Amino acid sequence: MELGLDVRNVDSHAVVDVKGEIDVYTAPKLREKLIELVSEGSYNVVVNLEGVDFLDSTGLGVLVGALKRVKAHDGSLALVCTQDKILKIFKITGLTKVFPIHASVEEAAGGAA
Amino acid sequence: MGIVRLAIGSLARSSGLDEERVDDMRIAVSEACTNAVLTNEETGTGEPVTISWVRHPNGIEIEVRDRGAPPESQPDALDSQGFSSRLVMSTALLQELADELQVEAAPERGTLVRLTFRIDEDTVT
Repeated sequence: MELGLDVRNVDSHAVVDVKGEIDVYTAPKLREKLIELVSEGSYNVVVNLEGVDFLDSTGLGVLVGALKRVKAHDGSLALVCTQDKILKIFKITGLTKVFPIHASVEEAAGGAA
Repeated sequence: MGIVRLAIGSLARSSGLDEERVDDMRIAVSEACTNAVLTNEETGTGEPVTISWVRHPNGIEIEVRDRGAPPESQPDALDSQGFSSRLVMSTALLQELADELQVEAAPERGTLVRLTFRIDEDTVT
């Protein structure tokens, strides 16, 4: 089960486009990429979940971990997600109150950090 | 894990559940499997995680079993920064997505998680 990760820069934000399924076996790859971005000095990050087919608590844990890391540098982590099945996971776990969730990368990167 | 989700998805669809319930079942079973796999890794057991299911006329019962040792104590609900632990989030998902959740844990036998998804007039397409 492969997880696709592409990184690009939009308005000084590091945007990670994720494709595939994020579970206990693929989540470490996302975690490593987010750690790498922060260690390189990218503290304003957008994770684009529009290409994600599946997300569970391991993926949520990775995103929470990344949020803590950027916050330690006064940074930000925003999500892009319009899929109801993924938004449902954030709602059940209360994480809609924790992550800014946007409808597009442009909206996520264009807003205030 | 992807193959498990495909199988569960097929089971759910063939039982007449709508797509939202199919997704609920895939996520819930994946959560239970993840917990079992991580428990096995942490306790070093070589026993595989087993998944079984039973179709009833009015529901599907799925059992996920590991043979690892159950956690000795409850993990802290919130970490020092106020975030829920992965296990707490996982439990919230299991409770919300399945119609019924039963957990049986014993030091020598491991942990059994039983998820029930009801099939009734409202959920059948």
